[in-house]
Amino acid sequence: MIIELGHLLAFLALGAAAAQSVLGLTSGGEAARRLAVAGAMFAALSLLTLIISFVRLDFSVELVAAHSHSQKPLLYRIAGAWGNHEGSMLLWCVIMAGYGAVAALTMREGKLRDRALGVQGLLTVGSFLYLLFVSSPFTRLVDPPFDGAGLNPLLQDPAVALHPPFLYLGYVGMSFVFSLAAAGLINGEIDRDWARRTRPWALGAWSCLTIGIALGAIWAYYELGWGGWWFWDPVENASFMPWLVSAALVHSLIVTEKRGGMASWTVFLAVLAFCLSLLGTFLVRSGVLTSVHAFAVDPARGTILLIGLGLAGGAALALFAWRAPQLKAGPEFDPVSREGALVLNNLFLSVSAALVLVGTVTPMVLQWLGEAQMIAPEAASMSIGEPYFQLTLAPMVAFLLLFMPLAQAAPWRKAEMTPLMKWLLPSAVIAVVAALIALAMGGWGVFLGFGVLVGVWVVAGVVQDILRRAGAGGWRRILKLPLTVWGMAIAHIGMGIFVIGATVETAARTEQTFPLAPGQSAEMAGWKFEFQGVTIVDGPNYIATRGDILATHDGRTELLQPEQRSYPVSEMGTTEVAIRKTLGGDVYVALGDQLRDQDNVWRIRIAHHPLIDWVFGGAALIAVGGFMSLAARLRRRAPANAEAATAPEAAAPQPGAPEAGVGASA
Amino acid sequence: MIGPVIALLLQAAPLEQPIPDETLEARAQAIMRETRCMVCENEPVSQSTADMAVDARRAIRRQVMEGATDDQIREFFVSRYGQHVSFRPPLDGWAILLWGFPFALVAVGLAMFGVKLVRNRPSGLAPLSDDRSGEGG
Repeated sequence: MIIELGHLLAFLALGAAAAQSVLGLTSGGEAARRLAVAGAMFAALSLLTLIISFVRLDFSVELVAAHSHSQKPLLYRIAGAWGNHEGSMLLWCVIMAGYGAVAALTMREGKLRDRALGVQGLLTVGSFLYLLFVSSPFTRLVDPPFDGAGLNPLLQDPAVALHPPFLYLGYVGMSFVFSLAAAGLINGEIDRDWARRTRPWALGAWSCLTIGIALGAIWAYYELGWGGWWFWDPVENASFMPWLVSAALVHSLIVTEKRGGMASWTVFLAVLAFCLSLLGTFLVRSGVLTSVHAFAVDPARGTILLIGLGLAGGAALALFAWRAPQLKAGPEFDPVSREGALVLNNLFLSVSAALVLVGTVTPMVLQWLGEAQMIAPEAASMSIGEPYFQLTLAPMVAFLLLFMPLAQAAPWRKAEMTPLMKWLLPSAVIAVVAALIALAMGGWGVFLGFGVLVGVWVVAGVVQDILRRAGAGGWRRILKLPLTVWGMAIAHIGMGIFVIGATVETAARTEQTFPLAPGQSAEMAGWKFEFQGVTIVDGPNYIATRGDILATHDGRTELLQPEQRSYPVSEMGTTEVAIRKTLGGDVYVALGDQLRDQDNVWRIRIAHHPLIDWVFGGAALIAVGGFMSLAARLRRRAPANAEAATAPEAAAPQPGAPEAGVGASA
Repeated sequence: MIGPVIALLLQAAPLEQPIPDETLEARAQAIMRETRCMVCENEPVSQSTADMAVDARRAIRRQVMEGATDDQIREFFVSRYGQHVSFRPPLDGWAILLWGFPFALVAVGLAMFGVKLVRNRPSGLAPLSDDRSGEGG
């Protein structure tokens, strides 16, 4: 009966959220607060009943029967609860109610908190309605099967088990940022205090989204067997768009918080980030991606998601149109200043988001127009993939990174460009030398040279900035730099490392498929691979064909064992690649199929992925930096006027022009 | 050009052999990465083990070795399978807008920035360090 209890709890959570929205938007702030906490507990307990059903293998629950199996290991039984549409929507609801509860418990009392809880209640109501009426995970089967159908074996992997929770912490985290934006607009107060209180939520959600995307990329890299970590697939782009917009948001929030500027733009981004999260969910969940037909067969889910997106976005934009003219413009600033640099940051990030959006949606729109016979069939079939995104996005990223060290060092309101550039000369020299070395090492072209140039420029620039902030204080002073400075430095270094890794990996990866019979060998990237044949091995819920390959490099030999696994329950197969890590990158060996026309000859796919760890490591540093900035906020959640006292880096004037910073006398 | 290539295609070699010349092989692999495997779900021919992908890889390598340009090889696939086969949208017709709009947006943004810098640059502003960022005007 436990799943019925879960069903009931979900209805209770829906009721709590409805009451929370009414009370929060009227005058019952304190009651809304309690309801938010209670609703989140109901939602969490509801998810718990689903997880228990999965762990206990209760096949009378339709979802368990469809997605689990008695042979499945415990971790994947638990993760199976959200490894499907209905369960993941319940997780979505839990996280959304959870954000409301955390806000209720931690935010300072006041109109902003109450209204934000009200709006969050509305969003939670919408999510629960969607869950309960079009994607209920609580359905029972009249005639339960003896065993379940199993989980897609590709998803039986630790990275992908954790991928949805982090992705949703990011996506849904944007819901509370949205609620704060709507609340601020209702109150007519989008000011420095609003920005200070909104930024931690944006930082947390954005960092979780970073981790979620990175986990997905890591999984694609080692589980799909072809060594790619990003393919510009619409599913990937769906998570990348909100990431880009929220990256712009965490930067524009700085301007609003520190200077009171860019208020209407910032609030617009806050609304947009959640709308793009909803759009991403629509793209992934409606079936519109696989084909327009799939969407047409069961249009309820997609249509309702679109209506939800329209309602949330439309209401927020209407609020925006009503209040934006009344928002105060911030104090004036010179284009050459920290504000100016952050405006450029937002320009490049939002154009990047726009091009990813257009590149993702255009083929679907064309296909739809073709189906409706509004355009010719030839014109309706277009693919937009890697070449488009690389050629258009690379210049944006390059611009973004070129301005990054300047933005970090420039003072607010007005900066002197010449001394700043002179001061950054060492970084520029290091970057140019590194790019020349990279170009000399391999004939990989301008793309790679430019990637290394901007990546090294950023890393060197950040290091210089840290040294400058430390001043004459030396190492001791460096360690005492505030957490916000470290958060920024680490995230920016992560970005530089990511760009170096991504361009080198993309430009210089080599891959080759060798047909090998036992005893034959192949050579690649300084390694010799001797194929010794295959053996059949039994796993817990699969049967593996394991290849034994002796890999020799620098006179040392080791055994690499890539596998092909076949899962009898779901009648699907997966590839388990063998990865040998080296300092310069990964040697990646996958066992392919046996050749049809020849006996005992196997396709062995060998690839070298240079600097692949820089890609994932860079992304991890970006997230760590985001969390550090968030931690800095939590540590000094003091009243506004105490802030000035806790900014020791303040003493450092603009580099190269010591007297300029001190001379400020407004 | 296409006739002999199809003839070569049909005369299927048993194994996939990379081109000995590394630059040519790299070019061939780049084209494989942007050519869709028509029988797979959103995969390029470079990754897939499907027969169509194997044949496509072989065709690409042969054409590269025969001295065909990248554009000629792309055209070979697009003429047979339609634009859908190429992950690279064409650079003609309305698709120029697709390629151009990000740069146009950036250009507009930078132009607005430039106008402010040259024409309406506010005067009399002094730098403000981090600790004093809260000060007005």
